[in-house]
Amino acid sequence: MKTINLKINGRKRQIEIEENERLLDIIREGFHLTGTKEGCGEGECGACSVLLNGKLVNACMIMAFQAEDSEVITIEGLGENEKLDPIQQAFIDTGAVQCGFCTPGMVLSAKALLMKNPTPTKQEIRRGISGNLCRCTGYEKIVEAVELAAKRIAETD
Amino acid sequence: MAFKVIGENVLRVDGHTKVTGGAKYPADLALENMLYGKTLRSTKAHANFTIDTKKAENIHGVVGVLTAKDIPGKNCHGVLFKDHEAICESRVRRIGDPMAVVIAESERIAEKALESIEVAYEELAAVFDPEEAMKEEAPKIHGEDNTVFHFKIRRGNVDKAFEEAAVIVEDTYYTGAVDHAFLQPEAGIAYEEEDGTLTVIAATQYPHFDRMDIAGAMGMEEEEIRIINPAVGGAFGGREDLTLQIHLAVAAKKFKRPIKMVYDRKESFLAHCKRHPITMHCKTAADKDGKLLALKTRIVGDTGAYASWAVNVLRKAGVHITGPYEIPNVWVDSYAVYTNNPFAGAMRGFGATQPPIAHEQQMDRIAEKLGMDPFSIRRKNLFTLGSKTATEQVLRESVPLGRCLDALEAAMNEKPLPDENINYLEDLKERQAKKEGAWNEKNR
Amino acid sequence: MKKTGKGIGIMFYGTGYGNGYPDISRAKAKIDTDGRFTISSGACEVGQGAKTSLAQIPAEILGILTKEVIFDHEDTKTTLDAGTCAASRQTYNTGNAMKMASESLKRILESKAREILNLSEEEPLVFDNHEVIVEGDPSKRISFKQIANTADVGDLEVVEIFQAVTTKMNEETGEGNPYWPYTFGACGVEVVVDTETGTLDISKAILVQDVGRAVNPKLIEGQMDGGFAMAQGYALLEDLNIVKGEIKHHNFTKYLIPTALDAVEVKKIIVEDPESSAPFGAKGIGEPVMIPVAPAILNAIYDAVGVRITEIPVTPEKLLKAIKEVG
Repeated sequence: MKTINLKINGRKRQIEIEENERLLDIIREGFHLTGTKEGCGEGECGACSVLLNGKLVNACMIMAFQAEDSEVITIEGLGENEKLDPIQQAFIDTGAVQCGFCTPGMVLSAKALLMKNPTPTKQEIRRGISGNLCRCTGYEKIVEAVELAAKRIAETD
Repeated sequence: MAFKVIGENVLRVDGHTKVTGGAKYPADLALENMLYGKTLRSTKAHANFTIDTKKAENIHGVVGVLTAKDIPGKNCHGVLFKDHEAICESRVRRIGDPMAVVIAESERIAEKALESIEVAYEELAAVFDPEEAMKEEAPKIHGEDNTVFHFKIRRGNVDKAFEEAAVIVEDTYYTGAVDHAFLQPEAGIAYEEEDGTLTVIAATQYPHFDRMDIAGAMGMEEEEIRIINPAVGGAFGGREDLTLQIHLAVAAKKFKRPIKMVYDRKESFLAHCKRHPITMHCKTAADKDGKLLALKTRIVGDTGAYASWAVNVLRKAGVHITGPYEIPNVWVDSYAVYTNNPFAGAMRGFGATQPPIAHEQQMDRIAEKLGMDPFSIRRKNLFTLGSKTATEQVLRESVPLGRCLDALEAAMNEKPLPDENINYLEDLKERQAKKEGAWNEKNR
Repeated sequence: MKKTGKGIGIMFYGTGYGNGYPDISRAKAKIDTDGRFTISSGACEVGQGAKTSLAQIPAEILGILTKEVIFDHEDTKTTLDAGTCAASRQTYNTGNAMKMASESLKRILESKAREILNLSEEEPLVFDNHEVIVEGDPSKRISFKQIANTADVGDLEVVEIFQAVTTKMNEETGEGNPYWPYTFGACGVEVVVDTETGTLDISKAILVQDVGRAVNPKLIEGQMDGGFAMAQGYALLEDLNIVKGEIKHHNFTKYLIPTALDAVEVKKIIVEDPESSAPFGAKGIGEPVMIPVAPAILNAIYDAVGVRITEIPVTPEKLLKAIKEVG
């Protein structure tokens, strides 16, 4: 047992962790933020993608102690109050959501991409989200959603 | 006819909850005082076994280990035949068969305790090739005969047609087993309600069927079982046969506490069915103009250790092996066969996905021999209004296959779609074109 | 060397359990005392969009918005059996049951409205925004809630059952009507094969799908994209590598499904030809969208490099070996 401090979705939190716990475990079981999904536990599917200090990571591949004093953003931390993040809204508007299990990770993957590159080409989007598997959509409408979100963000800036 | 809602790109009603992480899949649920289950699975493809769970039961934090004797009702389930044991009693028929379920205070304790269960296997001869399995001397998986099903079509006289044919093409095609690989691995929770109702929450494709199979295994009335189907993370046919539902129900009733089980990816691969691997031997004949004369085919589907939907899948394969073509003389033998492979069941297309691997290549080969192009040979033979299928079924309406092919040819050649031939309902294009913004402010 | 080829595949698909097996869906439609509309039916939302597209059916009939339809489908305690979410049968079967239940409820509401408003049988009524209104005389109107307040318990609740019509085939000849309705489709692809490595790119992809009638074109397009990708995996990537009954590829490192870089942009063409026994003519398409894709890829490979692949998946190793064999 060890206590760590971290900031999660803008709030400072303290949590007791066990040595072998993963960041994914404390997000889902410690903080009850179940929007972050576990699809493979091996860093292959991206369903557990979160932003760790602004960088996209698979929370199943990070040990909890590594998150000490870090800032974590999960899907629950996107958007402001009732207003969705433009990426979330674009996913709804383009039909980029089907079963929805990959969606939180996919949205965060898109978020990380647009933070680095606000005007990605289709191919850059495909590369950007290639670590996130989706079995339902064939990715096409997800790519459209990211394009649309980029466009909307540029228009409001 | 003008519709207001039909034909509109209404936004997904579950979109908001899914993009915000609010949608609850079974693994996202938790209840007070919950226990966790982990399944011990067979590492042998065909064996008798004895099991000793004492050591595991004595581990601190383990509340019990379920074995076959803990199933209060009938220890069986299955979508067609009840040939699965919920927990195998003394014999396993495939790698991955469930043999025991550890129930413990934490997932880690349950997982660790699996290692302390002692299993003694007595291996049996196994068979992995369906052709071998059909032979009389093959080891038997269930009962006396490994052939689960034989479907036949006998239409016209194929032998005579082959004699008269200008061209005959013959080959064997094979399609492998694949997995649904839905992103959400199996998970679920079960608990007893105050009135005695046994509630199971698990992602499924058919809650009422799950209820029936669980009631059978519990020896309870269907009305005493309640199934809640939360958000489902993809299915594609892989959530029709039960996986963890009966284990959850038995444990919740026995230990009087909520039980949660979550499979990891590897266990998900082991637990649910696969697409049937199918071998299709096809002999197809046409006249000199490319008109199909005959098809003779032998189809063998490997359903693995359990039947699941084998009968329906190999029946569907047998009906669809002609392709969407009029063929006057057809001979089909389609078999479903038990082996000791992972069991096969429903997967998107359900026995209609495999046959085109064969019939569409046969069509191109005939076209090549006759110097025809792939579009012409198909147009000459395809189903149109009033066509008869090989089972003598008359297609009386909604047969726009020719229009599909016209549209495809235009698009392949980057020409505009032949609108007057395609005959879209007048406003479809307009409806499709309504994108973001214009479409559906009113339905947001 | 890179070689390009084109290929096509066409298909038909018989909907439902088939072969005379009772293929039944049930739905219950009701108006509660607040005037809200609920439809209960055990059809599953597995990602395909049933929760949305099926709800469009009562919305159309009762003149309300899709999002105002309370579609109760998750709990066996409150829903009726609607069969498996499989065999592309929910749009057709449960869609029909929901349409029948909604229409029956609509007739009850009409008759109650005539009674309360003292209208003759001839006066035409329209349904809009939870109200029954006399066409051409909007001063004569009554809300669902007002009707509910005058009705007895159970008056505004109706169950309907739909059963698909198929027949059992003759066991010796196969004669019979095993499925209904049938759905059709076509796919065409252009591939570029690298003859040095056996790798393959899909440079053009077209999928044409007969849908009967498109209830929600965007959801159909989503199915078409997803079906294409799954079929691409089936044809080219996915191999469980089962050795003596053991699955060797049991994770996503070894069992490869298409990523965003593998998947391609598919031109999607929806063809409508309403089927009279289907709800508003709509047929199921969840499975059909996948079916013509793999053979189109195989035919394109032959067109590109002259090798006939009779076993899938066509992995680069397999394709390279086949190319070398033909020389």
